[in-house]
Amino acid sequence: MLIETKALRKELPALKRVGTKELCELLASLGFPVDAVDENDGSTVLDVDVTANRGDVLSHRGLARDIAARLGEAMAPLAVKVLAEGEALRPVRLESPACPLYATAVLELGKAQGTPAEARELLAHMGANAKDLPPVDASNEILHRIGHPTHAFDADTIHGALIVRWARVGEKVVTLDEVERTLTAQDLVIADEEGAIALAGVMGGNSTKVTPATRRVLLESAYFDPRTIRATAQRHNLHTDASLRFGRGADPGMAMTARDMLVQRLEDWAGGRLVGAWTAGSVPPPAQVVRISGEVMSRVAGETIPVEEAATLLERVGCRVESEPEGLRVVPPSWRHDLGIVDDVAEEVLRLRGYERIPSALPPLEGSPEPLSRDYLKRRRIAALLAHLGFCQAVTFGFVDPGEDSPHGDDPAFRRLKNPLGEEYSLMRGTLLRDLRDAAATNLDRGAREVRLFEMAPVFISRPQDSAAPVEERWTLGLVWAGEAGGEDPLTPVRKIAAPEGKSYLIGILKALSVPEQVIRDFDRWTLSGVVGGAQGHLGWQFEVPLDAIPDPPERVIPTFTSFSRLPSVARDLSLLVGLDQGYLPLVEAMTAAARTAAGESFQDLRCVDVFRHKSLPEGRQAWLFRLRFQNPSRTLTGEEVDQWVAAVLDAAKSLGAGLRG
Amino acid sequence: MEPSLLPIEILEARQDFPKALEACKDLDALMRLKGAFVGREGSHAARMMEILKAAPKEQKRELGGAINTLKNGWEEAIKARQAELEDARKRAAALGKAWDPDLPPPMPPQGSLHPLNRIIDRLVDVFRPLGYHVEEGPEIETEAHNFDGLNIPADHPARSSADTFYLEKYPELLLRTHTSPMEVRTLLRVAPQIEKKGGIRFLAPGRVYRKDEIDPTHSPMFHQVEGMLVGHGIGMHHLKGTLAYAMKALFGPDADVRFRPSYFPFVEPGCEVDVRCPLCGGSGCRVCKQSGWVELLGAGLTHPNVLAYAGIDPNVWSGFAFGMGVERIAMMVSETPDLRFFFENDQRFLKTMGGLN
Repeated sequence: MLIETKALRKELPALKRVGTKELCELLASLGFPVDAVDENDGSTVLDVDVTANRGDVLSHRGLARDIAARLGEAMAPLAVKVLAEGEALRPVRLESPACPLYATAVLELGKAQGTPAEARELLAHMGANAKDLPPVDASNEILHRIGHPTHAFDADTIHGALIVRWARVGEKVVTLDEVERTLTAQDLVIADEEGAIALAGVMGGNSTKVTPATRRVLLESAYFDPRTIRATAQRHNLHTDASLRFGRGADPGMAMTARDMLVQRLEDWAGGRLVGAWTAGSVPPPAQVVRISGEVMSRVAGETIPVEEAATLLERVGCRVESEPEGLRVVPPSWRHDLGIVDDVAEEVLRLRGYERIPSALPPLEGSPEPLSRDYLKRRRIAALLAHLGFCQAVTFGFVDPGEDSPHGDDPAFRRLKNPLGEEYSLMRGTLLRDLRDAAATNLDRGAREVRLFEMAPVFISRPQDSAAPVEERWTLGLVWAGEAGGEDPLTPVRKIAAPEGKSYLIGILKALSVPEQVIRDFDRWTLSGVVGGAQGHLGWQFEVPLDAIPDPPERVIPTFTSFSRLPSVARDLSLLVGLDQGYLPLVEAMTAAARTAAGESFQDLRCVDVFRHKSLPEGRQAWLFRLRFQNPSRTLTGEEVDQWVAAVLDAAKSLGAGLRG
Repeated sequence: MEPSLLPIEILEARQDFPKALEACKDLDALMRLKGAFVGREGSHAARMMEILKAAPKEQKRELGGAINTLKNGWEEAIKARQAELEDARKRAAALGKAWDPDLPPPMPPQGSLHPLNRIIDRLVDVFRPLGYHVEEGPEIETEAHNFDGLNIPADHPARSSADTFYLEKYPELLLRTHTSPMEVRTLLRVAPQIEKKGGIRFLAPGRVYRKDEIDPTHSPMFHQVEGMLVGHGIGMHHLKGTLAYAMKALFGPDADVRFRPSYFPFVEPGCEVDVRCPLCGGSGCRVCKQSGWVELLGAGLTHPNVLAYAGIDPNVWSGFAFGMGVERIAMMVSETPDLRFFFENDQRFLKTMGGLN
């Protein structure tokens, strides 16, 4: 909200002693921080941030009233001459409870003097330039000065009685912005006997607007139900100065005063002659009574606040306060719709005293703290491990474009957003790998040699048959490793991650994370397709696993002790010639089984430690160097027995077509 | 010695020997020299022995002495030179195996935790000693948890599809707009045993969504950390004490908090919390716009309607809640000029901002 400091000081003369910076701090401490200060041509305009619960400070007088309460200073009297009301010149029928009060007046306009410079200046500072139509300018000026929205109709365009009623379904009205609006039965309208002429509390109608030719005006200063006005403004996406103020709750007590001020301005500015003023309905009864005890006030404040001090502060903001044995009986003023419950009143007392006076203390521990959840700890452990293994943690959005491959076989239609930012963000994703792959490609495009990324986030799986949880969220780990590693120092050779053997590097990481062997084998989306950052057809390797598939570390802090042999272990190397199409797993499983059968508990381990492919080898063959390890828990092994076991393992390998390399 | 007793070629050899020895740059050359001067056959020494054998008897004594001196001199010199050359060869061999550790070392690959996760984990660590645990919940929420249970009125503009993402097939499901629905979920869960537990205190970190276009200060997805405590007799002073503790733990002992009145439907009283600018210490800088304070989070005492919605009696229990934007803190402490860096996943950004803890 824009506030001209000159107009503010006019309402609260004590502010003349307060500089702009001090004023900004004062406003912030009351809950209205200043977002911007605009100093121009000797005037200062503040952009004040007002919280959504405070309709009453959306004007110079309203804000001044709040400051006055804090400072304990007096407001300037409101310059208004109270009109004597007379007979209704035209019937006004209030047919809806959403409008309990409608003050009006009719004036004949004389020779226009024009809108005075001070009002023009204020309007300009409010970003609403004067229209040089005194009824319009005066209404706007009053809105910014005291906060009560009013409206002027061209009285000669209204047919018969004035009716405030719910709109008929499909009824139409053209508003001042020249847009035809189709109404619903929840819209409140001002109507005459021929139909709707204004959208109540939101915007006037085009057919009854004031023009330079207007001779007689009918003024409106009413009170409308905030909920109704908010709904209409939202429904028609029509947010106006009036709907903002009525929507937050105007002051019904100001309706007649605003009308009187408007009449007075039209007499002064436009040679107006009052024909008559009258009011339909009545000021609604004051808001409910709030009873607050000293105990609650002290609990909220963190210290004892004398009841008398609280009463004084509340009276300063316009509450009627009476002392009771238990505490205070508080009746909020007609403009404070935000003071509805005890907690609101307690806040008001703290606010007026100043939040800086609230003491500081740690709350006592009342029960046992709960442990950190295993899922959270698991993610933290995995993230730390991956970071130490050279992977960077990525964060990507939860929605992707609908071209996703839907790895869970669900129907992606049930994961679509109704109102996405764009088609490319319209689907709650079923995989992390699309975004990770894109991030990897971007990094390579920007010249990175190697990309290692991981992300842990939920993926979404639709389960339309499960009405309680139709979209499952499954925490998932995604990894991508692309480009080439090494080659940056004399000791580390280049490793092409994007090459076929690159998959082994990623599987090594997965094993370090304890991803179960079967999960690794079942994964079927290994390669990153697409040509990025060079001539290679694949840019690297990717993997995705639900976090619940990765086992938790055991419950105990450290595992149970298991004994190990202190006797020497014996290693033997076996170089085998195998076919180029030989699978590793069947061979190593057969050899392991043979070793276990032959050596029993003395068998430790067996694995391929080198692959040799060269034209010197027989055509179609390669050499795999196996290392076998044996160790007995209780005795030293002899060369003869180890020779026998190795021979048994070799036989097993031979039975699968392998041969000893000469 | 009488030089005339020795033939001219021996005398020349005697003269040439020091130079020839000096010229032997390796052991092979030295062995050839050794063969030529003191070898068993065909060497100068062998030749001298023949001369000695043939010499007249009366000269033998003198000549023998001279020959021995000459031969021993050569042998010793060759031996010394041999030791020298062997040392040199050992030194060369040792150098071949040596390595200059100042050469670029192989570095362990550098990974990193995402700066946003680092801040979340840090906050968990900061609040852990106060007894807070972590509550987590879904990103797809119901209107009931995201709005109703938080005292947000049915006509609140935040509910509109201009601000909140909704699912196409499920009109009641939305992407949570804040982590506050975790207040509702957690309170509903603990309500039946709240007496036994003696209240509840937790942090709820997570991803949230709002319908904002992507620009340097907005993102349709961002992170929040919600905090909540429910107990007996909880007031604003407890909120202030807790946040003052947390900010000191986060930003150092000089950190200080300032409360300003504010409004959120699910707290009453409500406040904005500023922290003394961690970059300039309050003297004024670009980050705090010369004010010495930066806005950090929104907080307040839990609205009685929120407790009542979950089935907790607000006349017995009271509490506070606070919610902070992780990106906001991250941008502030790191002076990162553009929010989009946090979601671009450029490794150069991640590695410099990430770290391992």
